[in-house]
Amino acid sequence: MKFSYDWLRDLAPGLAAAPAELEHLITLRTAECEGIERAGSDWVIEIDNKSLTHRPDLWGHYGMAREVAAITGVKLLDPVKPELLPAGESPMRVEIADPARCFRYSALLFENVKAGPSPQWLRTRLENIGANSINSVVDVTNYIMAELPQPMHAFDADKLAGDTIFVRLARAGESLAALNGETYELTETDLVIADASGPIALAGVIGGMASAISEETTRVVLESANFEASGVRFTSSRHRLRTDASVRFEKALDPENTVRGLARAIELLRQVCPGIRLAGGVADTRAPVRSIEPIHLPIRFIVRKLGKEISQAEVTRILSALGFGISETGDAELTVTVPTWRATKDISLKDDLAEEVGRMVGYDSIAPVAPRVASIVPPPNTLRPYLRRLRAQLAAQGFNEVYNYSFTNETDAQRFGLDLGEHIAVRNPIASELTHLRRSLVPGLFRNILTNVRYFPEFRLFEVGNEIHPKGEIMHVAGVLYSAQGNEHDFFEMKRVVECLFPGARLVAAEARTYEHPARTAEIHWRDSAIGRLFELHPAILQIEGLEGRAMVFDVDAIVAQRLAAAAEIRYKPLRKFPTSGFDLSVVCDLRTPVDNICDALRKLAGASLAAIEFVRQYVGPPFGPDQKSVSYRIEVGALDHTMTAEEVTAIRNRVIEGMRALGFELRV
Amino acid sequence: MADSRLEELRRSTLAAFASAGSLEELEKVRVEALGRKGALAQISKEFGRIAADERALLGKLLNSVKQDLESEYESKKRRFEQAELAERLAGEWIDVTLPAPGTRPGSLHPVTQLQNEIEDLFTSLGFAVLYGPEVESEQHNFDALNIPATHPARDMQDTFWLSNGDLLRTHTSPVQVRGMRAFKPPLRMIAPGRVFRNEEVDASHEHTFYQVEGMMVDRDVSVANLIYFMKTLLGGIFGREVTVRLRPGYFPFVEPGFELDIRCLICDGAGCPVCKHSGWVELCPCGLVHPKVLRMSDIDPEEWGGFAFGLGLTRLAMMRYGIDDIRLLQGGDLRFLTQF
Repeated sequence: MKFSYDWLRDLAPGLAAAPAELEHLITLRTAECEGIERAGSDWVIEIDNKSLTHRPDLWGHYGMAREVAAITGVKLLDPVKPELLPAGESPMRVEIADPARCFRYSALLFENVKAGPSPQWLRTRLENIGANSINSVVDVTNYIMAELPQPMHAFDADKLAGDTIFVRLARAGESLAALNGETYELTETDLVIADASGPIALAGVIGGMASAISEETTRVVLESANFEASGVRFTSSRHRLRTDASVRFEKALDPENTVRGLARAIELLRQVCPGIRLAGGVADTRAPVRSIEPIHLPIRFIVRKLGKEISQAEVTRILSALGFGISETGDAELTVTVPTWRATKDISLKDDLAEEVGRMVGYDSIAPVAPRVASIVPPPNTLRPYLRRLRAQLAAQGFNEVYNYSFTNETDAQRFGLDLGEHIAVRNPIASELTHLRRSLVPGLFRNILTNVRYFPEFRLFEVGNEIHPKGEIMHVAGVLYSAQGNEHDFFEMKRVVECLFPGARLVAAEARTYEHPARTAEIHWRDSAIGRLFELHPAILQIEGLEGRAMVFDVDAIVAQRLAAAAEIRYKPLRKFPTSGFDLSVVCDLRTPVDNICDALRKLAGASLAAIEFVRQYVGPPFGPDQKSVSYRIEVGALDHTMTAEEVTAIRNRVIEGMRALGFELRV
Repeated sequence: MADSRLEELRRSTLAAFASAGSLEELEKVRVEALGRKGALAQISKEFGRIAADERALLGKLLNSVKQDLESEYESKKRRFEQAELAERLAGEWIDVTLPAPGTRPGSLHPVTQLQNEIEDLFTSLGFAVLYGPEVESEQHNFDALNIPATHPARDMQDTFWLSNGDLLRTHTSPVQVRGMRAFKPPLRMIAPGRVFRNEEVDASHEHTFYQVEGMMVDRDVSVANLIYFMKTLLGGIFGREVTVRLRPGYFPFVEPGFELDIRCLICDGAGCPVCKHSGWVELCPCGLVHPKVLRMSDIDPEEWGGFAFGLGLTRLAMMRYGIDDIRLLQGGDLRFLTQF
């Protein structure tokens, strides 16, 4: 929104602050200024629209002049002369069919109109704030919109059918050829202004071409109405049509301004259209006025909220200057009446008044005070230190952390064989790669491989992020080791990393998913729970992208892992006082028998005497068959209360050998 | 007679030690002079034939000669051994500038690093650190924060709406609501996390970025407290004293609401391109928690009050590291990531 410095000075005569100083004051007290520039002999101050969202009154110069007057202590001049409004019956009738969408509709009929070019002062004012001059009648309506701010619309009265204006919802099949040259198909949610033959304007948004003011126009119906904010917003966004009028109505304008707008129009039209005459009085139809409760405001409340001593006189002075009605109802307590232009939604609580006082005294005048707070131990977040440790460990193991998007898409689905129907979809995606929410971190890591293979033959990446399932979010930690010359050693390197992160974790061969290598996929078990998977990415996925290498992936449920990590209790075991004895055993078995099975069997058979068991080697080759292997373990046994004799050790060894043979293993002894 | 032989032995052996060129030669000389059948042993054998009073004198001399020779032998031997060790070690030369094998440490994402720092700072101030979900209900993201469906503030945030009726949170503020409902006041909490806006991506705009929401609810919390706290906090983040100012800002879940600016750290307020020559940099929205927001979370605003603020983690990370393209943060490019 652009404000003319001269215009503000017209409304706040005596304003002494130079434009740059005024810009600074407005920024600190009212709303954010985005810049200031010269416009002829005038200056234009541009205010960020977002900082006016809650202030319908500041969409016009009069409202801003009120702020400026309150800030600088000068007088405010009301440009409206209500006495200009004609008494008597209007020749027109207004029917509001939907009073929830139109709070008030006021209109005046003018005769002997000649819409010519506007005088220079009017053109300059409008052009300086970024509006085009159309003709004198339209320019007056735009001027009042930028001043009071009251959007208005001028209809050519001779182009209207009948003498009744209907404010109603559009009917199915109706359309409007609008002033901007577009035709809008209307629905039953659009509020329209209509005559006997149909819509003549989209209420609060834009007028119709058929009833536009032209050089031939002699009689004008001037509309000054108040429409409900969210209805205008809805219609305007559905038709993708935001106008200076709709932007203002969206902010919930003051219904008291409709007739004020007409009074101002009478004065201005008499200046720019000599000979213009009023035909009858004001047609004014309105919904019952909502009563606004006065606010009880203890001065102590303001002091408590701002943290600064402030007198009752000062509070009274500030609120009065902003147009609030003040009466002193008790000891150090005021009763504050909210002015109509602030009451539509902006101000209803004493907290709102604390803001008014605070910004006008100036937040820069409030000295910092250390808060006095209760001594409490904050509720713990157990995930936080755990994630931090995981991240640090992964980085120490050579992994670089990536942040990938929470989205997935058709390309990921095809690559990984995912069913997008099982993913939460985005209803309004801005791009084709943002259509669904990810249920796995792995496709993102794969995209990272594609990004980096050009520059690096080998790398490690990880991400900590949420899988987003229809039933909820699960934080995962996933990593990838990519190598252009990759082989199965990379798998065991990843297994080592997993064992560093989750000490004592075991891999259990698992059935592969579509994107996993069918013979190189495992579930990660830790402390008797499955926490995730370790696998080689299906080589076909890489090959389709023209990549030769191999990618090893781990993917772990961080929530489950954290819970297991937290549950572990460390209890010290006394150190052995007596030496242990060891012996080696070699087991010959089927090539595909997991060595963990052998180890488990040995462990179990060695029983309570087992001090340690250590994998020595695996051997494949003569004299064993091609489907066989020999696996050797070193077994350490001992007793807690004496040094085992050779006979005791031999007995255990024999027991283990017998036991293994009973389980069907062949032993080389 | 014997005494002159001893003196001669001392002289000749010392000379032989001196001229020995290797450990072996040295050993040979030692055996000849000091060995069990060596010259000294021979002489001492003859002692039996000497008168007792003379024998005592000669014994003394013999011991002295023996000590001198042994000591000279030991010191010469040590020199040979040291020289030998030095030669062997010199042969073990390595080029210490050769590269070492093995994996090097990777890196943590710059946003993670900053988030860790900020979490530590707040933890030291007695704040809880809460994490909330990325998918939120409309209720949590908007309604409970005093942003009803018809509110124009919803225009300010372009929302990703989801097929299940929920949305991707547009700010970390819904975690305020979760925090207030889970833990009764007094309450101090921050909520770092990923947030979403449905907008086109370019060098300075992302649809996915990171915020830290902060909130303090206690008996009496004032604007003066907020200013004090933000000044302390930002001093901690930037590692130096900062000058802050509040100006009015509109956010439906606070009342009064502020934009907090800090005096530009680059030019100290003199004006430079970073602060667009204003001397101030807009840093974070904040304000006193709106009484409706408190009430919606079952906290009585007559009894409790609070302040809330939102810090842009992404923005802070870009400021700290001088990153000029926001897309790099989620680009997964190692050429970028390995710099941190």
